[in-house]
Formats: sequence, structure tokens, C-alpha cells
Amino acid sequence: MQDTTKNEDPPVERSDAWWYKVYFAVLVTTVVVIALLQAFTYYFSN
Amino acid sequence: MRPLDWAVVVAYLVYVIWDGIRMTKHSGNVEGYFLANRSLPWWAVGLSVMATQLSAITLVGTTGQAYSDGMRFIQFYYGLPLAMVILCVTAVPFFYRANVYTAYEYLERRFDAKVRSLTSFFFLISRGLGVGVIIAAPSVILSIVLGWHEMTTIFVIGISTTIYTMIGGVQAVTWTDVKQMFVIFFGLTVVIFVIISQFPAGVSFADGLTLAGATGKLTTVSLSFDLKEKYTLWSGMIGGLFLFLSYFGCDQSQVQRFLTAKSVSEGRTSLLMSAFLKIPMQFMILLVGVLVFVFYQFTAPPMIFNQVETGKVAETAQYQTLKGEFDTAHQKRETAAEHFLQERTDATRQEYLAADKAFNASRKNAVEYVKSATKNDSFNDVNYVFPTFVVQNMPMGVIGLIIAAIFAAAMSSISAELNALATATTIDFYRRHFNKDGTDKQYVFFGRIATFVWGLFACIVATYATNLGSLIEVVNKFGSFFYGSLLGVFVLAFAVKRARARGAFFGLLFGIASVWVASHFTDIEFLWFNVVGCVVTVAAGYLISLTDKGGIDVVEA
Repeated sequence: MQDTTKNEDPPVERSDAWWYKVYFAVLVTTVVVIALLQAFTYYFSN
Repeated sequence: MRPLDWAVVVAYLVYVIWDGIRMTKHSGNVEGYFLANRSLPWWAVGLSVMATQLSAITLVGTTGQAYSDGMRFIQFYYGLPLAMVILCVTAVPFFYRANVYTAYEYLERRFDAKVRSLTSFFFLISRGLGVGVIIAAPSVILSIVLGWHEMTTIFVIGISTTIYTMIGGVQAVTWTDVKQMFVIFFGLTVVIFVIISQFPAGVSFADGLTLAGATGKLTTVSLSFDLKEKYTLWSGMIGGLFLFLSYFGCDQSQVQRFLTAKSVSEGRTSLLMSAFLKIPMQFMILLVGVLVFVFYQFTAPPMIFNQVETGKVAETAQYQTLKGEFDTAHQKRETAAEHFLQERTDATRQEYLAADKAFNASRKNAVEYVKSATKNDSFNDVNYVFPTFVVQNMPMGVIGLIIAAIFAAAMSSISAELNALATATTIDFYRRHFNKDGTDKQYVFFGRIATFVWGLFACIVATYATNLGSLIEVVNKFGSFFYGSLLGVFVLAFAVKRARARGAFFGLLFGIASVWVASHFTDIEFLWFNVVGCVVTVAAGYLISLTDKGGIDVVEA
């Protein structure tokens, strides 16, 4: 597992369009997580 | 600490040091030693990115902070996912395709050698000091557990980590980080379950959170616009964004992580792993601190967690008086908590809040007394909460596991920082200015010497850092002093075509001067220093660049 110096297949680079979808998913997830945290706070504080 | 606990800790230490040292066989050439031949998979790099940021300070300082101040600190991380996305678009492809060893090497291609040397120099200063604080945190714990002097524990931890980093290089750093992350997560999960299992009969996990929520300890979003308030949604989203852009995009200890990835895509994925996992992970760590707070609602907590300082004043009459008041305040709070859980009315809630307020006042009086009696103005009890709780309340074996997890967190950060400091010293100064045509053997040898020297320097800094207040804030304050300005230089490099070397050089100096002014003459909290430093550096750098008619154009990576 750790012998990382051996010859391997050339890495595959994803397209920009694919990455933009991933970035969008990251930002949406962040908003959802912050909203869930706020709901958590509200639920146990009232 | 019983024999089983010692066995767990010793087994962990022996395994990690052996695992690090055996990486020597991959570290013979300069690219292998500093960049692992750019061959590591994204998940290993991603775990290493997280392990580097998650130091023992995170475990010790953050849990202590959650115990006393609640979860509001989590807002510090709200800007991190956006920062990671921006870096995936900009820094990762720029640095990776430029085929550089350090982030600052890129600045010479874009500007000149002076800008590269200045930014690298400021990185060395800020990181060198920062790693000292990172060593200080676990030393605090060991000094309590073993009863050793902090100086001894600092040098034991610092030098042992230095040795395996020096020998194994970045391969050792990354692969030990991966194992250390598993130890940390396992330890945290176990401690959460053990604390909950030790709640009194009839008090559930939800009941505990209700108590914490009533005292405001579960606040995770503050919409206040007050710049003097330390953790708000805005300081996290804006100040935190700038800090993380700078930390992950301009700090060699993190840039070096994604430069070891197999490709640009794998480098990006490794950063996005943090974007997805960092906030939940931080929530988990803060939750431990909150659960310790709940645990001590029903079990008498130490009035002062720092047993060493307590021992100096425990026999005085005033301490005994304070202790009596503290014990009474705890009993009243415990009773009020039970009433509140039995009858959740506004009256019982107010009774509990009043009892909690009186308890906090009693503890504050005790801390103030210890401060004055020991003549230690910088005394801070926050960092001692979690280790003292673990040693006094966790069962046999779990103590060893938690101590091992704290070691893991410390060593994963220290090793990555030392490796980055050695890389910048070797590549940006030794190879650039003193030995341009050296052999791989010479650079690797110099890198090992640099690792050792930086390890020694960090240990000396650590001896002064143990009493600097909440250690997690100390290390972030160190960083915030320089990070914004360093980020400003990279913004000039990436985004401002008109930027020239003179503008970047003097813009950086103006930026750091502006942070110094802001820290000495205003009351704004440290997260905003990153914004101030970055904005001033970019503005000053751009204006000064307008006076320079020559210079070089943007070099595409």
C-alpha cells in the first residue's frame, strides 16, 4: 500500500464542467450543514 | 495512568516512529524527500491535510474552550469550504503545473527573487513560532499525567517527532498522518460514548444537550456584526475565508501536501475532502467539550483544572474559603439542573441559569485568586480541562487511548510543519542563494539538518508558549498576523496582471505593517487581521506597481 514510487498508469484529469458541479455541491452542502447546526442550536436551546 | 494505559501509549509511539523511519528508502532524491515523487493518492493526501491542521491544540484547546465558552468557535470554520473551492480553481493547478517545490518558488517566476525570499522568510518566522505552540499543547498534558516539568516533555515530544521527520521526509509525514487520523477519530468516538455512559441514571444524551443549550453552550450561529465579537457567522465567513485561503494556499505546510498528489485532480479532491468533513469533525470535537460540561453538572469538577498551580495555593485559608463557596455553588447548580430536567418550566430554567451563573462567578474568583497568589498573570485554565477530565474520569485503557490520540494529533502537525520549514529553507534559500548546482544528496542532507534545527527552535519557542492563554487562539493569532498579507501577494500574482515585483514586495511590507497597527491601535478581533492584511497588500501593491513601467508579464503556470 505504501510503496508509492512504483510506476503507475498516467493520472486521469477530470473536465472543468465536472469540477464546477462538484464545487456547487460543496457550497450547497455547506449551507445545509450550517442550517442544520442552527436547527440543532434552536432545538436544544428553547 | 495504569500499566495498560502506558502500554497503549508506548505501543503507539513505537509504531509511529518505526513507521516514519522506514520511509527512508523512498527519500533518497530531492523530489522523493520533499514531494514523495508526486505519487500519493488523494485520500492519503486529504487525510494528511486534515491531520496537519488538526493539532493537539485542536483536541486540548478546543474541548477546553467548548467546556467554558460553548460551541461558538465552530463558526471559525464556516469560510473553509468556500476557501477550498477557490483554491481548487486557482492555487492547485497553478502550483502543480508550475512544477514547484514551494509556493514561494512560483513568486520568483511571477515577480522576482526578492519577493520569493521575503514571503518565504515571513512563512518561516510565522510557522517556526506556530509549531512551537503546537509542541507546547501536548507537553501541558504530559506534564500533568507524568508530573514532569513542562520543559522535559517539550523536548521529548519535539525531538522524537523531529527525528522521524528528519529521516523519512514527506513520505513519513503523510503515511504517519493517515494512521494518526484513524487513532484520533477512534479515540474521540470512544470518549463520547464513555462520557454519555457515565451520565447519572435518568439523564439521557438529549437531556445533557438541553442543559448545555439552556446555558447558551450550543450556539453555532451568531449574526452579530460587532467586530469586537470573536466568533460570528461573518467573522467566520469573511475573516475565516481569508485565513483559510492563506493557510491552505500560501502556507508551505499545506501547499506541500497537495503537491505530493499524483495529479491536479487528485490534489483538488484531497482539499475538497476537508471542505466536506472539517465542519462535522470540528462539531464532534466541540461536542466532547460540551459533554464534559454536562458530565460536571452531576459530578463535582475541580475548582482549578491545572493541578500544578493548585498545589501552590491549596493550603492557604483563602483557597479553602473559595473551595467551600465553589462546592456549595456546584451543589446548588446540580440540584437546579435536576429540577430543570424534571420540570421544564420557565421558572426551573431561570433557577438553573442563576445557579450556573453563580457557579461560573465562583470559578472565576478562584482563577483570579490563583493568578494573583502565584503572580502568574498569563495563567489560563482552559487548556487543562480536557486532559484533567480524561485522567480523573476515564476507565483504564481509554486514558491511554486518548493520550495516544493527543500525541497523534500533535505529531501529525509537528512533522508536517517541520518538513515544510525544512523544504522552504532548503529550496528557497540554500538551493536558490548558496548552492544552485548542488546534488540531490547535498539537498537531502541539508533538508535533514534544517529539519533538526527547526525542531530545536520550535522546542525553545514552546517553553515560552505554555502560559499564553487558550493555545488554539494563540496559534491562530500568530498565523493571522502574517497570513492575510501573504495571501495578498498571491492575489497580486494570480489575479492582478498589472502587478509588478516592486509592488508585491512593498505591498507585503505595507500589509504586515497595517496588521501591526490594527493589532495595537484597534479592538478588532484577530480573524479580521487576515482581511486587513490582504486588502492593504493588494491595494498598496497595485498602486506601487502603477509606478513601475517595466517588470514582467504574467507567467502562465
